Amino acid sequence: MSALQHKVLVVDDDPVVGKSFNRVLSQKGYVVVTAENAQEALSKVQEGEYDVVFTDIKMPGMSGIELAERLKVERPWTPVVIVTGYGSTANQERAKAAGVSSFLEKPLSPEMIEGSMMKALLDAVPAVLPGLVEAVHPEPAAEDSHLKKVALFVAAPFIGLLYAVLLPFVGLGMLAYLGIKAIKNNATATKVASLIAAPFIGLAFVVTLPFVGTALLAWLGVRALIERAQAE
Amino acid sequence: MHKLYINPLPVRIWHWTNALGFVLLIATGLQIRYLDLIHLVSFRTAVVAHNWIGFVLIANFFLWLGFYLFTDKIKVYHPELSPTKYFRASFRQMQYYGYGIFRGDPNPHHVSVYHKFNALQSMTYQIIMMLVVPVQFFTGVLLWDVTRFAAMVEMFGGVRVVDTVHVLFFIFFTGFIFIHPYLASLSHTPWAHFKAMITGYEEVEDEPEQGAASR
Repeated sequence: MSALQHKVLVVDDDPVVGKSFNRVLSQKGYVVVTAENAQEALSKVQEGEYDVVFTDIKMPGMSGIELAERLKVERPWTPVVIVTGYGSTANQERAKAAGVSSFLEKPLSPEMIEGSMMKALLDAVPAVLPGLVEAVHPEPAAEDSHLKKVALFVAAPFIGLLYAVLLPFVGLGMLAYLGIKAIKNNATATKVASLIAAPFIGLAFVVTLPFVGTALLAWLGVRALIERAQAE
Repeated sequence: MHKLYINPLPVRIWHWTNALGFVLLIATGLQIRYLDLIHLVSFRTAVVAHNWIGFVLIANFFLWLGFYLFTDKIKVYHPELSPTKYFRASFRQMQYYGYGIFRGDPNPHHVSVYHKFNALQSMTYQIIMMLVVPVQFFTGVLLWDVTRFAAMVEMFGGVRVVDTVHVLFFIFFTGFIFIHPYLASLSHTPWAHFKAMITGYEEVEDEPEQGAASR
C-alpha cells in the first residue's frame, strides 16, 4: 500500500490552511481533500473513507470539537487531529475525551504537519488498520534511497558546472533559431538576409568547388576503370 | 500570501555565521593583501584573525553539510537531470531578472519546501557550496601552514598557484557578498527574504489549486 492511496481531510474555514496541508502532504504522495466547515466535512466523510482528519476548532456553525465527537461516534477508527490557534484547556479536555489523536497549534510548519500525520497514522495502526504501517514512511517506493540522494548531491556541482558551460551556447543557439524563424516569417527580412548572406554563400561555393570538382572527376575515373574491367 | 517553513534552524545558523565570517575574511584578507594601502589592524593580527575565522567557517560548512546529508532536505541541492527542463527554467528566470521584474511580472519560480532555489540559483549554489567553497577552504588550509603542507603545495604547482586560486576565489566571493543581498532584496518586499532567513518562514504567494490532490 503506498502513501498515494491515503486520503487526508483538512477542515478549516481559512482556505490557506488547506493549501498548506496540500502543499506539504501531496509532495509526500497523500491525497488532500479540503472542507470549509464541519457540515461539508461530514458529507465528505459519508461519501468516502479518510485515513486522517485535521480540523480547526473555531468554524462557522459546528465547531471542530463537535465534528471530532461526531466522527469518533460514526467512525471511531479514523484519527482526528485538532488544529487550532486558540488552545484552551477546556477544549483540550473535551477533545481528549472524544478521542482525538493530537493537537496541532498554529502557526504550522511542514515538519509539524508531516509529524502529526505520521503520529496519527501510527496511533491508528495497532488498533484498526495494520496495513497503514507502510504509510508511516510515506512514499517508500517512490522515494529515492539515501545513497542515491547523496550521490545526486555529490554529482550536483558537476552537473551544475556542465549546465553553466552549456548555458551560453544553448542561449546563442536559441537566439539564432528565433532569429532565423523571425526572418523566415518576414519577406523583407528574408530579402535583406539573403543579400547579406549572398557573399558568404558564394565564398562557401568557391571554397568547396575544387573539392567537389576533384571528387566528381575521381568518381568518373573510378567508374570508367570499373566499366573497362567489366568489358574485358 | 501564506507562509512556508523553508529555512530550518541549522540552515539559518549556518547562513548568518557564514555571512559574518565572509565579511570578516574579506576584510582581513584585504588587509593581508594590501598591507600598504589599508591600515585596519596589524598584519599579524589580520593573519591570526583570518586563520581563526577560516577554521570557524570550515566547521560551519560541516554543519551545513551534515544537515543536508542527514535530512531529506538534501533534495534542495539535487540537480535537475533533464537538460530541456533545466535550460527552459533558466531562460525563463533570466528573462524575469532582466526584463519581467521591471514590468512587475510574477516570478516564474514557485518556492516549495524541497524546491527553494530557482534554476539559476540551484546551479550557482551547487557549484559554490560543493566546489568553490571547499576549494577555497582547502587552499586556505594549505596557505595557513605552507611548511607543513609543503609537499602538497608543491604538487599543486607551488605557493604562487595555490595563492592565485585562493585570491581569485576571494575576488569572486567579494563580488558575491555584494550581489547576494541585492538579489535577496528582489522579493515582494525588499526585506522579505532577509526576514525569511531570520524566522525560517518564507512568504509565498497563493497559487490556484491544481491536480487531483487538491480536489
